[in-house]
Amino acid sequence: MSISEHPSEPAGVEPRLDTAGGVDVPPVSPVGRLAATVERLSREVRAAQAEAEGRALIELAKGILVERLKCGPAQAARQLAELTEQARMTPLQFAVEVINQAARDRMSEVTDAFLAATAAAGEPVADPAAVRLRAAESEALAADDTQSVADALLEQALRPLGAVAVAIWAAGSDGSLTLAGSAGFSPAEAARWRYVPPDVATVARRGLSERTGQWITSLSETGLPSIGRHHHPDGGRAALPAGTGGRIHGVLEIAWPAPLPPQPPQLVRQMEALAELCAHTLETSTLRHGPAQEPPRVLPDAAELMDLADGLHDPALVLVPHLDGSGHLVDFRIQHVNSRFLDPAGRPRAVVNGALLLEAYPMAAGAGELFRGIERVYATGEPFRARRMNLTALVDQVPLSAIADISISRHGSAVLLIWRIEDETARLASLLQHAQRLGRIGGFEENLLTGEITWNGQLFDLYGRPPSSTPVPLEQLPAHAHPDDAVAIGRFLRTLLHHRRPASAAFRLLRPDGVTRHIRVVAEPVLDTDGRLLLVRGAYQDISAQHWTEVALAATRDQLAHTEQQAHERNRLTLQLQHAIMPPTQAPLQVTGLEVAVRYRPAETEQLVGGDWYDAVVLPSRLVLLCVGDVAGHGIEAATSMVVLRNALRGLAVTGAGPGQLLSWLNIVAHHLTGAVTATAVCGLYDPARRTLRWARAGHLPPVLVRGPEAAPLPLVRGMLLGAVPEAEYEEAEVQLAVEDTLLMYTDGLIERRDRSVEESLTQLLTTARHAPSTLDQQLDRLLTYSRSDTDDDTCIVGIRVD
Amino acid sequence: MPIAHNPLSVEVSLPRQDVALLTVEGYLDVDTATEFQHHLANQLHHGRRHFLLDLSEVPFMDSSGMNIILRVYQEARALPGSVHIISPTPAVQRILDLTGVSITVPVSQSVEEALALVDRQPEQPENEDG
Repeated sequence: MSISEHPSEPAGVEPRLDTAGGVDVPPVSPVGRLAATVERLSREVRAAQAEAEGRALIELAKGILVERLKCGPAQAARQLAELTEQARMTPLQFAVEVINQAARDRMSEVTDAFLAATAAAGEPVADPAAVRLRAAESEALAADDTQSVADALLEQALRPLGAVAVAIWAAGSDGSLTLAGSAGFSPAEAARWRYVPPDVATVARRGLSERTGQWITSLSETGLPSIGRHHHPDGGRAALPAGTGGRIHGVLEIAWPAPLPPQPPQLVRQMEALAELCAHTLETSTLRHGPAQEPPRVLPDAAELMDLADGLHDPALVLVPHLDGSGHLVDFRIQHVNSRFLDPAGRPRAVVNGALLLEAYPMAAGAGELFRGIERVYATGEPFRARRMNLTALVDQVPLSAIADISISRHGSAVLLIWRIEDETARLASLLQHAQRLGRIGGFEENLLTGEITWNGQLFDLYGRPPSSTPVPLEQLPAHAHPDDAVAIGRFLRTLLHHRRPASAAFRLLRPDGVTRHIRVVAEPVLDTDGRLLLVRGAYQDISAQHWTEVALAATRDQLAHTEQQAHERNRLTLQLQHAIMPPTQAPLQVTGLEVAVRYRPAETEQLVGGDWYDAVVLPSRLVLLCVGDVAGHGIEAATSMVVLRNALRGLAVTGAGPGQLLSWLNIVAHHLTGAVTATAVCGLYDPARRTLRWARAGHLPPVLVRGPEAAPLPLVRGMLLGAVPEAEYEEAEVQLAVEDTLLMYTDGLIERRDRSVEESLTQLLTTARHAPSTLDQQLDRLLTYSRSDTDDDTCIVGIRVD
Repeated sequence: MPIAHNPLSVEVSLPRQDVALLTVEGYLDVDTATEFQHHLANQLHHGRRHFLLDLSEVPFMDSSGMNIILRVYQEARALPGSVHIISPTPAVQRILDLTGVSITVPVSQSVEEALALVDRQPEQPENEDG
């Protein structure tokens, strides 16, 4: 590949300064222009790329583009730069890429996509008009602003075509038109037309809205206003949209002094190409200056302010007034935000930058009155400062608020808004304060060198002292605490102040109002660089509620354990007592002609060990005292009463009194026992000589006599249970026994059942007793084994058998 | 040991200002004695002096139930007042006889009979039998 055109003929046009480098462009023939442009571009590349090889490659790439796009070198250079940027490559890399593409001969695909619309401009040019257009194009390319472009277009290309004036309009995003440059109109006229608000129908506007070239034979026929209408009221006009890449950046308006006949298509295309040229200039110009050329000259002021804002350490916004069509202040445009800028709603900087203030922060107009503040500052120049202002931003229609300190000041015609959003540390501190209040935590710091003590408000509360009072030094803590806590506090202070280690202690704080609070104090020492104790800081926490809960819990736990243990002890004691007094079996009594056997079966459940007793003893009178009794209730009280009654009966029996009398006395004993004890008992005195049993009962089941195959209870003689009344009388009965007779005394543990009467239970017992085995012991065992009792009660049996 | 598998029902009415009629239904045993005692204590607290215990719906009474009767008997006697047992079932009658409680606490066959006894011996704290 090689460059297909060669410079041949220099043009007689004065050189101009190029934006990129500064090069002399002799715009003569296309070939000469091309050569000049190649030269300029090569220099430009040289500035950027110092390597000869790279330069050659880039030149080559441009050449390829020129040939394939059928465009001028300027276009090729621009395309190359744009594509390089899009591809995020270095120019050299991209140039190589282009060359590679060409070598594979796929270039046409690329070219079609790039600049199909400008193909007309690349036609071979032969006539002088076309040459001039090219010259104008070249000069325009070299111009550094739209005004120069306008001059160049008029002088180089349009005057030869009979045009007298040209205006380049920049289209604003709101539909307004701004006069970006003009030539051939008087300065006053240009100043009058510097800005055309949206929706005002002008020639240029029509070009913009129709998006195709408007060719007007005579301005007066259309009735449309436009710049310079008074000078050439009947002249022709052309309004050509100036667009690139589907975007219209503005309008090129050309004025002729006289009515304009229809133009030949070639000229139309050439002028459209000029419009496109303007578009490039407008585009770069707009990029450089932002929404430039807007009314009151804010830019210089704003520029200074932007520099200032960038030097600030707080988020800052540079605002410029935004006027409506009639020149009234309606809003401020956020001209610039500095690098520290943090959107309260957390949006990216780019979203906010360039937006209107009320668009970005619609809530600024609301309660916070931020907008009103800015307005006032802008109007009066009086600065405005506010602390802890509530800023609200709408993000996706959700209001988000933040607290900020605000500063607003006017600089020239711009306004500087600085805010400092309450930062995280500050927010945390505030949070901590709330937590301290809720947790009843009082913080303190004590400077041990100066003696200065700082308390927070909560600590004064804890101490029950007014916030105006003097804080209590740690050293004096014992004086404010319960005397019993002196040791704990002493240890705490020693650890903290002597060993210089963090320490904590719990103590009872005695407040001046007489209230005692349970306080936990935690503190840590702060040492200076020499290791000296500088500060002590820490916190008090009121743990009263917690403390009492813990105390109550501990007490309950102790009590439970104690009770459990006690109960266990008592049960064991009861059993031991019972066993000590009444062994489950007893050594047989040595009585001539009488067999005596006893059985005691304690309740299976330990705590039900009760007050059953039996006794069988030979009295001094040679009579045998036989007894079974049952103290109501269970446990140690019942067992104790049992012991009392049993021993009392033994003692009383020595008097030689009869069983009725004995029970009468025993009733008195029971009645006077503490705790309203009642008991039942059956008591008999057996006379071995006569084989008679004289007996009485106190509310107890009568003995059962087993004689041969018969078993029957003795009659139910009258006798009140023991202890219920102060005095009672007991009927006596006597039974004559025979050899082989068996007599049984028992407690109701043997027969007690819930589901049947005593009668039925007794019948059951009697049936069991009837089948008497050979020995008395066996009979008692059998009774215990077959007892139908369903209550887990202790059981006593005393049996005698007459030999 | 099963607990409260036989719920006790005690209904209290006042035939007279100082006479409480307690109609008991259910087993009077170790499981229910305490509840029965609460009813009696409540009436004592309200100043009743005479206690009529209708035990016609008590199929079973053990020593715990009996001890409650004895206790209220002792309390009432000190006031002075009285306790009357009305229409005991045979099983309960048997227990009352067995323990000799029927010697001390009069047994009546109806509320009217018991009230008549209350009227006849208004101020006699001691009575050996009914």
